[in-house]
Amino acid sequence: MSRPGVSRREFIRIAGTSTLAAWPAAALAGAPGQAARRTAAGPLLQVALVPCPDYGPETLAAAIRTGWRSSRPPDVRGKRVVIKPNMVDVSPDRPIHTDPRLIEALVLHIGDLGAREVILAEGTSHNRDAEDLFRRSGYEALAKRRGIRLVDLNYDDVTPVKCANPKATALREMALPETIATAEVIISVPKMKTHKLAGITLSLKNMFGVLPGMAYGWPKNVLHWNGIPLSICEINATVKTHYSVVDGIVGMEGHGPIMGTARKIGVLVMGDNALAVDATAARIMGVDPARVDYLAMAHKIRIGSLRRDDIGIAGGTIERVRTDFILDPEFESCRASRGPGK
Amino acid sequence: MRPSLPMAIDFLRAHQNPDGGWGYEPGRMSLVEPSAFGLLALHSSGDRTRSSRGLDFLRSCQKDSGAVGIGPKDTEGSWMAYAALLAFHDLGAAAEERRLKDWVLSFDDASGRFTKKEISVVASRYRYDASIPGWPWTPRTTAWVEPTALFVLALRRTGVPASEKRIRSGVDLLLDRRVPSGGWNFGNPYSKSFELEASTMSTALALAALGAADVPEGRPAVRAGLRFLADGLGGDVSTASLAWALLALKSFPSGPARVAGIAARLARLQTDDGSYRGNMFETALAYLVLSEAPILGPVRGGKR
Repeated sequence: MSRPGVSRREFIRIAGTSTLAAWPAAALAGAPGQAARRTAAGPLLQVALVPCPDYGPETLAAAIRTGWRSSRPPDVRGKRVVIKPNMVDVSPDRPIHTDPRLIEALVLHIGDLGAREVILAEGTSHNRDAEDLFRRSGYEALAKRRGIRLVDLNYDDVTPVKCANPKATALREMALPETIATAEVIISVPKMKTHKLAGITLSLKNMFGVLPGMAYGWPKNVLHWNGIPLSICEINATVKTHYSVVDGIVGMEGHGPIMGTARKIGVLVMGDNALAVDATAARIMGVDPARVDYLAMAHKIRIGSLRRDDIGIAGGTIERVRTDFILDPEFESCRASRGPGK
Repeated sequence: MRPSLPMAIDFLRAHQNPDGGWGYEPGRMSLVEPSAFGLLALHSSGDRTRSSRGLDFLRSCQKDSGAVGIGPKDTEGSWMAYAALLAFHDLGAAAEERRLKDWVLSFDDASGRFTKKEISVVASRYRYDASIPGWPWTPRTTAWVEPTALFVLALRRTGVPASEKRIRSGVDLLLDRRVPSGGWNFGNPYSKSFELEASTMSTALALAALGAADVPEGRPAVRAGLRFLADGLGGDVSTASLAWALLALKSFPSGPARVAGIAARLARLQTDDGSYRGNMFETALAYLVLSEAPILGPVRGGKR
C-alpha cells in the first residue's frame, strides 16, 4: 500500500534518519517569534563573522567577546540561559559534536555578563544513551567544572505548546521540554556540517534536538514522517532561538553529519537571527542557501532572511573565509557559484 | 557506609509521587516507564502497599483501547507500553495485562504501508529489509531496533510464546538490522556506502530480546553481538547499558561466566543516597537486575 504524495526522496529519509518533504509553505502563515524587523538605518539583520583559528581558551574568549559585541546579542543579565549544542553522536575520530571548549568559553562569557543560570541541554537523536554521550563528548566534565546543569532533553518533563502554524503540519502541538519552555534565552551552538539528507546542518536544524525522544522517538521519527524542512520550520517558528554561534573552527564535510571528514575553516558565525546566521555559514561552505530546501522555506515564512542584502556582516567578508565543503553528491545542486551572489 | 541494594528501594519509596507514579528524577512528573519499573522494584522487595499505589497510576494511563502511552494525558499508546506490560503481569493485573497485550500485538509500524519500490530503495541505501514488521517508538512510524527489542522482551516475559507471529517477525527484524561487523545501533546498519557504528545499549537490548526469544547463541548475529558487547564492556559504559548488558549476558549459555564481574561493576555505581545517578528508572532497573527479580529472569519454552 502506498502513501499518497510521498516521493522516493522522502521515503528513503523516512526509513533512514530524515526526510525532505514537499513543503506547503503557502499554508504557513509566518513566524512572528523569529521575524526580523528592519532598523531605521543599516541592514535588516546583523551577523558577526569572527576569525578563530583554534580552540585555545584565550583565542575562543576573545573571538566570542568580539562576535558578541559586533552582532545584536540578547540581554542575558539575570536570565536563565539554555545553550543547545549539537551532539548527534560522538566519535574520537570525527568532529561530530560541537566542541566543548567553545561551549565552555561561551558559558564563561555569559556568566561574566550576569546570567542568573546557564544550562547545557541536548536531546540526542540517534543514540539515546545520553550518559555515555555526555561523558564522551566532554560535556559532563565541562558541566561539573563550571557548575552548570546538564539536561537530557529526551527525558525532561514536557509541556504541550501549540504550534505556530497548526494547520501546516501534522504536529498541531509540540511536547516541549520544560527546560526549553521556561528558558528566557536560548542559544543554539551547532557545528558547521554537511548533512547527507538535508544538505547542510547549522542553527535551525540543530533545534530538532529540543524535541524529546520519549515523545518523538529516536531518531525523532515523527518529525521525519512530517517532513524535515517543514518540521525544522515549525520548530523554529514555535521556539525562538535568541542567538546562534556556529562552530566553524573545524567543521565536517562529505557524508555528514556523522560519517563525514574534518574540514578546518577557522571561523565563528554569530548572530541573533538563526536564518541569517545559517545563510551566512552556508555561503562560507560554498552553498547557496536559497537552494537548501529548509532554508528557502524558512525565508518564505519569514523566520528571518537569507538574502545577502538583508544581512550585514561584521568582522570580515564571506569571500575571505569561503571554504567550499565537499557536499553529498545528491546536494551538489546546492553549490553556490563563485561571486557575491544574492 | 557503603550503599547497599535495599537502599535503592528506600530511595524509590522516598520519591514516589502523590499520584503513585515516578518521574525519571525526584519531583518530576510521573511517566509510565519509571513508574512501571519503580513499582516492579517495590513489588519485588515485598512492599505491596506502595507498589499497589504505583499500579493505580499505571491503570490511569491505560486507554479504552488497552493502549498505554508515556503518561496519563496521552491519547495514544507508544513505546513505554512495554514497561506497563511487565508491571501489569508481575502485579497480577490480569484484565489490564490482557487488554494491553492485545494492543501491543496490534501496534503496527509503517512496514505495511511501503510499496515494493520503496522497500527496494531502502534495501539499496540502508541495506535492510523494510518489509519486516517490528515495533516503532510512536504510532504510524518506522520500526527501530530498541522498541522492537523492548516489546519482544516484554511479550516473552509475560508468557507469549516465541512462536507468536509478531515475536518471530520482531526477531527477524533484529537479525536483519544487525551491523555487519557486530552489534546493533538504533536501526540503520548502513548509510549509503558507510557502515554505521553499533552502540552498547542497542546491542544489549537486541541480545536480551533475542535471548528471550530463544534464538541460539550459535547464530552468527548473536555471536558477533556478544563479541561487540564484550569489547564495549571493556571501556566506560553507562548505568542503563551496563544493566541491560547484564540481562543480555544472562540470556545465553556463555554469559554467566562474565556476569559476576559486570554485576559487581554495576553495584559499584550506586551512590550514597541509594540511587543510580538519582534516576528512578535506572535505580529500579539496577535493583531488579542485581536482585535477579523473576520478572527479568530467564524465559522458558517456545524454542524457535
